[in-house]
Amino acid sequence: MKSLENLLERIIQKVNINLRELNFDVTPLVKNLIPLKQMGKFYALCGVTPHHPLNFNFRRSSLAGSYFLGKCRTTNSLLYKTDIRGDELKKKGDIFKYKEMEIRVTENEGIDIRNSFLIKTLVHCYSHDPETLEKFFISNTVSTHYANIHGSPMDGCFLGPYATVDLTTTNDCVIGAYAYVQAGEIGHLEIETGTVWVRSPGLFNFLYRYPKSRLSDYIHFSAGASPKGMLIDSVDERKEDFQHVFNVVHLDHSVRIPGTTSVDRFAVIKPETHIGENVLVAQRAYLQNAYLGKGANAQENCYIINSRLEGFNVTAHGAKIIEAGLGLNVFVGFNSFLRGRPGAKLSIGKGCIIMPHTIIDIRSPLSIPEGYLVWGLVTNEAELETNSIPLAALSRITDSLIKGPMSFEGSGDAFVKAFQDRIHHILEANGAFFNGKNNRGHAQKNQHISFNAIQPYPDGDLEGLYPTISILP
Amino acid sequence: MIPFKVKDVMVPLSEYATVSEGATLFEAVMALERAQEEFDHTKYRHRAILVLNNKQQVIGKISQVDTLRALESKDQNFEDVKQMGKFGFSSKFVRDLYKQRRMAGASLNDLCTSAARVKVEDCMQTFVEGEYIDQDAGLDTAIHHLVLENLFSLLVTDREKDIVGILRLSDVFAAVFHAMKACEIKLS
Repeated sequence: MKSLENLLERIIQKVNINLRELNFDVTPLVKNLIPLKQMGKFYALCGVTPHHPLNFNFRRSSLAGSYFLGKCRTTNSLLYKTDIRGDELKKKGDIFKYKEMEIRVTENEGIDIRNSFLIKTLVHCYSHDPETLEKFFISNTVSTHYANIHGSPMDGCFLGPYATVDLTTTNDCVIGAYAYVQAGEIGHLEIETGTVWVRSPGLFNFLYRYPKSRLSDYIHFSAGASPKGMLIDSVDERKEDFQHVFNVVHLDHSVRIPGTTSVDRFAVIKPETHIGENVLVAQRAYLQNAYLGKGANAQENCYIINSRLEGFNVTAHGAKIIEAGLGLNVFVGFNSFLRGRPGAKLSIGKGCIIMPHTIIDIRSPLSIPEGYLVWGLVTNEAELETNSIPLAALSRITDSLIKGPMSFEGSGDAFVKAFQDRIHHILEANGAFFNGKNNRGHAQKNQHISFNAIQPYPDGDLEGLYPTISILP
Repeated sequence: MIPFKVKDVMVPLSEYATVSEGATLFEAVMALERAQEEFDHTKYRHRAILVLNNKQQVIGKISQVDTLRALESKDQNFEDVKQMGKFGFSSKFVRDLYKQRRMAGASLNDLCTSAARVKVEDCMQTFVEGEYIDQDAGLDTAIHHLVLENLFSLLVTDREKDIVGILRLSDVFAAVFHAMKACEIKLS
């Protein structure tokens, strides 16, 4: 245990050095967040498939309950129930396009985690930084419960619970709870809790900030305590279902799974659930009385309960959909929380884009018409009016738009196209368009994964720490 | 070489507008008005007010910008607008947003009334190390200080480190201007 304590001290010091300019001290936030005794209790899993380079290397790290796929390396790090999903990493010989340049990838890209403490965090996608094409690095960083590090190399950062950094190289930054950032590159910034910021320099800039007093009902985090709020409650209520999935060696899901669909061994599927063709259900996804039409997906930490998704729906990492009906091609962004209630159904029309980190929480039925963009906090019709716009109307914006607490500047058309292109790319990567021959994606490639379980020292000074392990073909 | 020392050019503390800690911004503005009336009108007018503690030591300064800043609403909406720059929004966008929020907020009269009641210590600037200069230092040293630190004035101290006056950028400029003129006349 002594080694684990020293390792945590070392990580805290490294992060604090990087954040000294912001006068931010992670110590009180992190010190007892996860009792170190817990780190020795869980095994870690390394996925093996013929479709992804096999190259794992773990040194002086603790990996409790974590999941690895693709080329991954951890050094001097603590990972607690964290998913390192390297199934979209670049391969040697790939061409990366950056502005007018086409850059050849010289070796298989790897996720390289150093001096970091990641708690229930998802790491996915690939490095979008043209300066580090072969290395998706995460160093000197602490991330807390249900944070997403998506295609974002980072150094010297703190991520609060449910924070997402998406396609953004991030240096020496604090990203507050439930903040979402997609801005290309940022440094030395403190992004406040509940900020949703999407910027493409020279093209568009979108900013929404949650009213803090209302957001705290959903998530709040302060020194000396675990994160609290309805987002955490909704997950904790279903914790036992996951314990069963992780405790059983052989598990067959009780629903019919088409041959073109992938349902991860570590997802929870409860009756009466229907899963269509070309569907991807990732590990730690939770389906209960859910209908997933052709080409829909449920990513890590997604909960779809008493809901119907007609097809080609993207439910991004961490999104929750409860008592809702979604038309075709509806996109629900990272960590969104959409909650209807029995007798107060939420209905979302075809082609809508629900922005990342949107909360829709209703007590009366609510219908969102086809082709709308929705953001922020919506609990009734009036708030929907303030926090939404038809995509066609947004496309006509050429200068600026201010709606309630949302600010937009730049080309609405470029913003809408960027989202629609990305949604199409996600569906493509997930295998939603597979026709039996072409357009194979994760839904087809991730069907057969073997898992190697690895375990830490059970006792003594090294308790909780894993021995140095290399797994190669 | 400009043949002046700091003490030759500074405004003595006794001639400066001062108020005591605990005074309101309105009292500070009135003190400034009085000082301007009493001050030698051939010189530049006073533009700042010094705040003194109960031992008559200078603990802060209120500039014109600080006075105007006190008029700014402390409403969260305005605080949010101030943060927009760091998110990469254009100055024009931030100005328009500010204007929009201002139109929906309190009138200038209301803001002036509430700002007048603000305590001086809540809107004054405190001093940092680079803002002090010895009264016997040369004016060239003072110029270096002002330019390097990008300041509009320096606090002048005596041997006991007590503040005895203010060296203003405008007075230093006037001294330099006269020195230049003298040089030019000699050369011609």
